[in-house]
Amino acid sequence: MDFTLNADQATLATAIDSLAARFETVPTNYDGFTLFGRDLEQELENGEFFDIALVPELGPLSAALAVERLSRLPYTAEFALSMLFRPHLSGEWPRPIAIVENGRPGRFVATAKTILVIDGENVGITQPSPDEIEPVESIFAYPMGRLKTGVTITPLPASEAAIVRKWIRVALAAEASGLLHTAIAMTVEYLTVRHQFGRPLGTFQALQHRLAECTVLAGGVRWLALRAAWTADDGDAALAALHAQESATRVIYDVHQMHGGIGVTLEYPLHLWTYRLKALISELGGRGGQASAVAQHCFGSASSY
Amino acid sequence: MEFDWDAEQQGFRAKLRAFIAENLPADWENLAHGPGTSEQSIFSKKFCGELAKAGLLVPHWPKRWGGSDADAWSQFILAEEMWAVGEPRGGQYMNVNWIGPTLMRFGSEEQQQRYIPPMARGETIWCQGFSEPESGSDLASLRTRAEKDGNIYRINGRKIWTSYAGHADTCFLLARTAPGRGGMSILLLPMNTPGITVREIPSLIGRGDIHEVLFEDVEVPVSALFGTEGQAWEIARSVLALERAGIPRFALAGRMLHRAVTELKKAGRFGNGAIGQAARAYAACEAARLYSCQIIDQRKRGLPPGPDGSVARFATVTAERLATEFIVEHLPEALAGGDVMLLSHHQRAIVAGISSGAAEIQLNLIATEFLRLPREPR
Repeated sequence: MDFTLNADQATLATAIDSLAARFETVPTNYDGFTLFGRDLEQELENGEFFDIALVPELGPLSAALAVERLSRLPYTAEFALSMLFRPHLSGEWPRPIAIVENGRPGRFVATAKTILVIDGENVGITQPSPDEIEPVESIFAYPMGRLKTGVTITPLPASEAAIVRKWIRVALAAEASGLLHTAIAMTVEYLTVRHQFGRPLGTFQALQHRLAECTVLAGGVRWLALRAAWTADDGDAALAALHAQESATRVIYDVHQMHGGIGVTLEYPLHLWTYRLKALISELGGRGGQASAVAQHCFGSASSY
Repeated sequence: MEFDWDAEQQGFRAKLRAFIAENLPADWENLAHGPGTSEQSIFSKKFCGELAKAGLLVPHWPKRWGGSDADAWSQFILAEEMWAVGEPRGGQYMNVNWIGPTLMRFGSEEQQQRYIPPMARGETIWCQGFSEPESGSDLASLRTRAEKDGNIYRINGRKIWTSYAGHADTCFLLARTAPGRGGMSILLLPMNTPGITVREIPSLIGRGDIHEVLFEDVEVPVSALFGTEGQAWEIARSVLALERAGIPRFALAGRMLHRAVTELKKAGRFGNGAIGQAARAYAACEAARLYSCQIIDQRKRGLPPGPDGSVARFATVTAERLATEFIVEHLPEALAGGDVMLLSHHQRAIVAGISSGAAEIQLNLIATEFLRLPREPR
């Protein structure tokens, strides 16, 4: 147990920080609900950041730390699956990667080079041609797309499907952790500057306690996500994803409620984080799906605790 | 950053588990109604004596006081393993975690020589005289007085909800020597001093746990003063720092969850509703555990205690709550003559967010110290 970054992790964190610094600011005009970071994705590609999990000194934990940090940004890009999940696929599969679950539209599908297709218990993989995918308008703050029907999908064996699910869960939790962080930080700032009844909103204990509870949840997501990336344990991954979806459900509501009217507008960018979290809440069967995985992996043999 | 227990830590945990297996009696689960019961208090002296002989009672204490200078992780692992089986150290866990170390830091030579060796041998029980009828979360408002009269202090007042007082040899007593927050002092008070009355308060926690303690013209020599007059607030803060990770309630909560799940599976009752709640509670237990590890990590590095301690504490309170809510909804028979361990866990869990500071105070601290929200006007 050691909760401080080692030299390699710290070097990577510094590099990610300096890259992220150029994408911290929300531009004044962007279209619709999504702020897609093409340049961010290109810089990550140029810096070979998508492969850090494969570097022996770094590994999946460093990748999870990077995903968590990058998810704090207003820009969205497909890095979580590329960094945490792609290294565990057998064979060469190009990125960006997307997931299509039970035929629904998915994040990054319209630009994906590799698509995982999850249908109930079955997991398959495909490299779609451009005419097999199409963008979908949505309120989620990710570019959403659909995989057309009739695409040829290569089924994955059950053993690989389990690995797929595990790393999707880790990626989901790490991304949610970064999103929760910024959603809460923005709310702290708003409650500090916004005055009503002659005092900052943040001085009201009713709001302090709610935001404090959100903070406890968000930090728990971070630790569970990072531990799961380190242990690569199926149960740890399921716990992390469950706590992420559980916490997101609560935090999204509370931070919007505390922002009042301003948080409802598109000019105020809170939705860039909260409407990404909303997309994550349903993945891999939502909380029910993660709970089943916890039951399978953590409550399988009760004596092991 | 890494999340593995090293070989030494794993070895220490294995050693503790072996010790527990060997030293807990066969009917331990029936005995383990709560750390404050007579049975458990009496047993704790035997058990802690054996722990001491095995070098496992105070491993993180300095060698000078019977420890082996082990690091903060040893204390954490020790606390986890003990609490997870129902705390066979009884109230003596307080000696190990904070009373001993606080005496080492602030005690006079005479106080140290008198009180620390019996603690290191596992022979003595202490109680903490903090809360009063009119002074709970607002500790600085306490009224119990200690008036200096020549070479004695004369103590009058009342403490309440005092754990372990029924079997305690000594009280770590917070009393007023002058008005205001700066007028609070600590006295080390032998419980057999004339003028002390202890009355057990029947409670939801279990038999023998909490008490009312009355002080009527109790006289102690001035040498019972701990630190200096008015130093109580500083000492109390240091105590809180030692206790910042708090009781590892998530360890027992996690174990009780698994126990309840096993029962439900046997009965064919572990359906989707139960699965959802059990999984949620277990995730909360593990989150609390990692937060507590973070606090231990900070302590090991010699970092000053910060607001993370409040975050860890609240996470633990949440985990305990979700675990008990799961069991009460899905395995209610456990609390009606079904399972003594689940029952005693449930009974003790009610104070998770109350003892050693209300959870709402932790939320205040998280809001103002951790998030740096502006303070509420007072």
